[in-house]
Amino acid sequence: MTREGTRIDIVGLTKKFGNFKAVDDLSFSVDPGVVTGFLGPNGAGKTTTLRCLLGLIAPTQGSATIGGHHYRDLADPIGTVGAALEASSFHPGRTALAHLEVMALGAGIDRARCMQVLTQVGLADVAGKRVSGYSLGMRQRLGLAAALLGEPRVLILDEPANGLDPAGIAWLRGFLRSLAAEGRTVLISSHVLSEVQQTVENIVVLARGRLIKQGKLSDLDSGPRGVLLRTPEPEKLRDVLAATTLSSDGQDESGRIRVMGGTPEQVGHAAFVGGVELHELVAEANDLEKVFLAMTASGLDESGEMVGVGADATRVDGHEVDGHGVDATRVDGDRVEEGRAR
Amino acid sequence: MSNATIATLTRSEFKKISSTRLWWGLLIGVLLWTVPWAVFTAAFAGVNPGTGQPASPPLDTPAAIRSVYATAAFTGAYIFAMILGITGMTSEYRYQTVTPTFLVYPRRQAVVAAKMVAHLVMGLVYGVVGVVSALVSGGVTIVIRGYDLGLGSEGLWSGIGLTILAVSIWTLVGIGVGTLIRNQIVAILVAVFITFMIEPLLSVLANALDYGDLAKYLPTNASTALLSPPDLGFALLDWWTGGLVLLAYALVFAGAGMLLSIRRDVS
Repeated sequence: MTREGTRIDIVGLTKKFGNFKAVDDLSFSVDPGVVTGFLGPNGAGKTTTLRCLLGLIAPTQGSATIGGHHYRDLADPIGTVGAALEASSFHPGRTALAHLEVMALGAGIDRARCMQVLTQVGLADVAGKRVSGYSLGMRQRLGLAAALLGEPRVLILDEPANGLDPAGIAWLRGFLRSLAAEGRTVLISSHVLSEVQQTVENIVVLARGRLIKQGKLSDLDSGPRGVLLRTPEPEKLRDVLAATTLSSDGQDESGRIRVMGGTPEQVGHAAFVGGVELHELVAEANDLEKVFLAMTASGLDESGEMVGVGADATRVDGHEVDGHGVDATRVDGDRVEEGRAR
Repeated sequence: MSNATIATLTRSEFKKISSTRLWWGLLIGVLLWTVPWAVFTAAFAGVNPGTGQPASPPLDTPAAIRSVYATAAFTGAYIFAMILGITGMTSEYRYQTVTPTFLVYPRRQAVVAAKMVAHLVMGLVYGVVGVVSALVSGGVTIVIRGYDLGLGSEGLWSGIGLTILAVSIWTLVGIGVGTLIRNQIVAILVAVFITFMIEPLLSVLANALDYGDLAKYLPTNASTALLSPPDLGFALLDWWTGGLVLLAYALVFAGAGMLLSIRRDVS
């Protein structure tokens, strides 16, 4: 079952609550065919943006559309967009099946479909149990089932991994990827990059209601990386390096010496030739979480200007802010995995 | 899939009501309230209270028969019908089911209209249950006292019909209150406090101060007038004016509820 995807467009979106700007002139778009991560710390405005997109709250300015239409104008809302906003929007005294039947009746969807989606998310055995007896993970799955009910082309999930066990997260990852591979638009929000790092291909990063970055996850770069090593003879190493183009540049969090200016092979060779004993030698990884924190921290700065740690973020921004250049049709699992290995 | 109409939305609202236990819990409340009310009304009709006040009309008058069957049913059912309406709205906010509700059908006025239709029908059910329980328990008491059942008594069946309608209309008042006060507990407490405490007090006060004309327009008094009860010691509206006043209250509350639901952010 392959269905045509639909693009999400956020244009100049602003939402004020009193004097507080929850979302501030936000523009980005989400393409079909890939899983896009909607990232930012708590309070960044992610949920407000999604609620504007779904017609639940009225934007102060700007627009949020799905395939060019406002949610309210969709002819078949839950058959176009499936959304799971929080794991708590269930009546505790209602069974999972009844919750879905309420929705199916309102949307004119065949009731048999309810049991189908419950089976799909692994809740078939507890379909007749009241939701009050559900764990957070089960509620997440029920939310996902509700989102899938109308076989939508667009899937919007707010913090879907929240409360899932590791097996559940692995299952969700594969599931969302397969939905995207069918050409659907999949947008998932999270405040932890590492949680969705292996699931998403594109990212939209938000802080303080503003766009920090839109692009491919693989574009995130923590900057020049060195070689990390341990040695019982740090002084001797310094002397040896002084004679080469390599230079030591402090230590990482676990006390390993960082050497810049060469590959692990070159550093190892220099140490070997100089007779320095090494206990560990490894290339420094691309620390995405660090980039993410630096980016969003800059957005959290009081003045709102990109200062201090913001220097890093500015550089990342400079890398490529153009999100539309993304090759939206490719979902190449292996390549993506490699690009994301920490 | 796209032609979700008021009818399909109403089915969805019925499913919401029937899939939790509240509706029959409240229905038990209707029985527990109506049966003793009907029994006591029948037991003490025409009996001199011994406090110097006049006795109520005896059981062989149409007014007494109406108060046993119709007034008791209304008194026992309308608060519970209102609470059903209040919870029908407030539980959407309390459990945030309002989010999936408006996602399923984002044209909110249709959703609220469907909710009102479903609750009006449930209100009819509550009214019928109230009337049946009053007929049975009141009827038994009347027979025990040796009077005629009085089922052919003047104005009885029109009074019963109006009772059922009035109970139904109170669900609309409840939905309106539930939209204005979204906290479920507060909404129920405020509504019950107003109908049980403030309204009777206002009504006594207004009559004492010779403003009885105003007291007639309070919602509960207007509803009572609809049932043409025996003399209660103060003036009531004509039955049809009372009905219109009650309907006006319901429409104002429901209209306010509709407007608020449509405009308010769901977050």
